[in-house]
Amino acid sequence: MARHGKPGRTFLICSLLCIAVAAAVLIYPLYVIRPFRPQAPRGLMAALAILRYRPWVMIVCFLGSLAAAIWYWGRETRVLRRVGAAIAVIAVAAMAVLSRVNVYEMMFHPFDRPSFSSADRSKLNGDEKVIAIGIGREARAYPIRIISYHHVINDLVDGVPIVATY
Amino acid sequence: MWRAEIEGLRLKFHLAGINNQNFLMRDEETGTYWQQISGAAISGPLAGRHLTLVPSDELTFALWKGEKPGGTVLDDLAPFVSRYAPKDWDVRMRQAPTVLSYPENGIAQRDLMLGIEASGASRAFPYDSVLKDKLIEDHVGPEPVILVVGPDDQSVRVFERRIPGVSEIPEFYRVSPTLFMDDATGSGWNFQGCAESGKSQGKCLARVEVIKDYWFDWRHYHPATTVYRR
Repeated sequence: MARHGKPGRTFLICSLLCIAVAAAVLIYPLYVIRPFRPQAPRGLMAALAILRYRPWVMIVCFLGSLAAAIWYWGRETRVLRRVGAAIAVIAVAAMAVLSRVNVYEMMFHPFDRPSFSSADRSKLNGDEKVIAIGIGREARAYPIRIISYHHVINDLVDGVPIVATY
Repeated sequence: MWRAEIEGLRLKFHLAGINNQNFLMRDEETGTYWQQISGAAISGPLAGRHLTLVPSDELTFALWKGEKPGGTVLDDLAPFVSRYAPKDWDVRMRQAPTVLSYPENGIAQRDLMLGIEASGASRAFPYDSVLKDKLIEDHVGPEPVILVVGPDDQSVRVFERRIPGVSEIPEFYRVSPTLFMDDATGSGWNFQGCAESGKSQGKCLARVEVIKDYWFDWRHYHPATTVYRR
């Protein structure tokens, strides 16, 4: 039995608001920025803006849902409802964690500090395509079959930071 | 290939998403999102800036090794070798669907093009046509250029069609897979664009950056592009 007014209703509004906002900022960028679908400029810009501010939005949502649950627990004694409040907090936390997962990096594993071998010792076939660059005294070749998989490789060539992309 | 710094700030890039089948990168330092193909910052604190291009060549390994025997080659990253693409990856991709479509000039969306930008103009050369012709003299906007196929019959380089110190615009013609000549100085030029014989011996033609890209992608980022026809 609630001790003060209608804590269930207040909690429900706060909690659902946090869940809805967290879900929206989690799902919208995934929906817009997905392969095999055209990206319209306006939608893409909105999705990227959300991505930039999403960590802070998630923190606010998590703290909001946590505060609501703590407040509710102080006013609600029924176990089932208390568990429900805890689940709501866990749901927001789970969405916050999921929002930190970079699906593209999980798929393609871009990397830093690549290692190189001398051209003489390389076992690469002669007809394999490479992207070749020369900076200062260094000449480097990036086999396309490698960078077309990883897509982004952060490198340092003769002291110059570059990003090898494909 | 881009310089990973802007105005003295060194940047580390992450793979961050996709925009019409072209990857997006995000830098760790400012959280700005960058378009991989153009080097343009499209969202975030550095929006509107452009990364500096690192001049590059797409060559066969044997050709590059012959030119740069002391060079180094990127090693495989062991856990992912089985996932690497076959060497004819870009050709196989011609069958893949696209999300954009520019049905112009009878070009298929995934036809490979060699794209050149010069003096604010852009022009696309069908890769297969270039390989057939071996040597193409053309203009990109007002700039006279020459496209040359290398001795491996696969690699292509582009040069400004101006010989340093010579006022007239020369005509070039191919005499062998490794040599082309000009009619202004009677010099023989190699695939690196440097004269090995004749009056221009020791001189080199200025390189022009070229991007190999699918038609739909080139056309998307260069809406005013013209297309070379044989």
